[in-house]
Amino acid sequence: MHNSQLKFIYLSLLFAFICLLVPWSGIALSLRPDFMLLVIIYWLLRAPNQCNVGTAWFVGLLVDLATGGVFGQYALAYTVTTFVAVVYQRRLVLFNNTQQLVYVFLLLVLSQIVLLVLKTFAGNEWLGWAYFLPSITGILIWQLAVMLGLNTGKHSRG
Amino acid sequence: MVQGFHQNLEQQQAPAFFARGPSPFARLVFFAALSLTLIATDSRLQYLATVRENLMVLLHPLQLIANAPSQLYQFTNEYFSTHHRLLNENEQLKKQALKQDVALQQLNMLILENANLRDLLQTNQTLVESTALAEILHVGRDPFTKKIIVNRGSNHEVSAGAAVVDAAGVIGQVTRTYPSTSEVTLITDKSLAIPIQVERNGLRAIAFGHGRDNTLDLPYLPANVDIKRGDKLVTSGIDGVYPVGLAVATVTDIKVSPGSPFAQIVCEPTGGIEKHRQVLLVRTPQVDIVNNNTPSQTSGKKNNAEKTQPQTLKQPKQQQNSTKPQPDNANKPHA
Repeated sequence: MHNSQLKFIYLSLLFAFICLLVPWSGIALSLRPDFMLLVIIYWLLRAPNQCNVGTAWFVGLLVDLATGGVFGQYALAYTVTTFVAVVYQRRLVLFNNTQQLVYVFLLLVLSQIVLLVLKTFAGNEWLGWAYFLPSITGILIWQLAVMLGLNTGKHSRG
Repeated sequence: MVQGFHQNLEQQQAPAFFARGPSPFARLVFFAALSLTLIATDSRLQYLATVRENLMVLLHPLQLIANAPSQLYQFTNEYFSTHHRLLNENEQLKKQALKQDVALQQLNMLILENANLRDLLQTNQTLVESTALAEILHVGRDPFTKKIIVNRGSNHEVSAGAAVVDAAGVIGQVTRTYPSTSEVTLITDKSLAIPIQVERNGLRAIAFGHGRDNTLDLPYLPANVDIKRGDKLVTSGIDGVYPVGLAVATVTDIKVSPGSPFAQIVCEPTGGIEKHRQVLLVRTPQVDIVNNNTPSQTSGKKNNAEKTQPQTLKQPKQQQNSTKPQPDNANKPHA
């Protein structure tokens, strides 16, 4: 069972990565949710034994590679975010849908804030509040996935 | 007996539900330290450039898969484009070609004339740049930087530093090359500066990308500088990166505040990534261009040109194709 779950984790991460690589431009780029982080948060809730801070770090490194930025920025942002998610993981699975949405939103915003701090240190400017739009589209996608039948709540007994 | 029972409990392994390896905090500290080290290494030292290049090769197939849907869409769009639209476009292109043909005829004459004049002045010949056509693959994914990725890389002899232009003007500069793609930093990026010249009066300055909006700034110019709204800025060519005389931007706004000795000049780039898919990568040959006089330069240089004229009469047409700095040759007769 564990092996098949691991396969699912990697497949979903690969899919999210391809979504990231799609040539986004213009408004779509500024609205593009953080697919990788969403998938990682999902697997953190469902399978914390297989998907952990380390996984998030590696995935962050991949995202760094894809965005062409300095290595380690997304890695650090994902590490911090997943740490918070892991600490509250047991409580999170018991949350109802709305509470979970708020929590996921806060996680997404947290990762963006970490990234913003790193970028500001590197000499970049504040991009305006539109910078946080991907977090909103992120929870919209989360909600869409839940409505399509994705089980983000209690562990299934299978 | 009781003690033994306790020992038994302690030796017992925790149930699988609680077995999570090192604590999350330990993991956080470890991986955060690792990330910070990477950030420091990558931004201050240049060790990771080759690593990145090699990893990008592995990423390429995934990129192709990701590009497939949009390319398929474009292909079908082109395939099913209406007869009417094609006819219109054809007509437009013919008109454009006719206009450009006329201009080209004059250009040939001007090139010859220019070459002759340069011979007379014994200045260096203008350098012929090598160009390559590239197509924009996608816009950079980092919202903080203005970058695009084009489909020509080090396999196609593109190297970092090449200028990137489109039909309307300069777009940017190649900053990183991968085997089959390369990364172009746009002139609107905060980290890119481009030496320009005001077309109207030949004033030279350096334009910096603004970063946030799609504009350029002209900082460090005095408040009484002779720049008007609507002035066209072209490349000055003194940097050896951008060819001379390409359109860069148009001045859109000038603000002078009493508190500052500098004028605040905002310019809008002429070329744009939104308008075209194809761009031209221009590689200027690396030579000493310090003495490469251009005809559009101001009076100070004209004196220089007058000085060299008598020498021209003494030794006509000997250094036609010399790419050496001119004074070396020019000083010989005196020595």
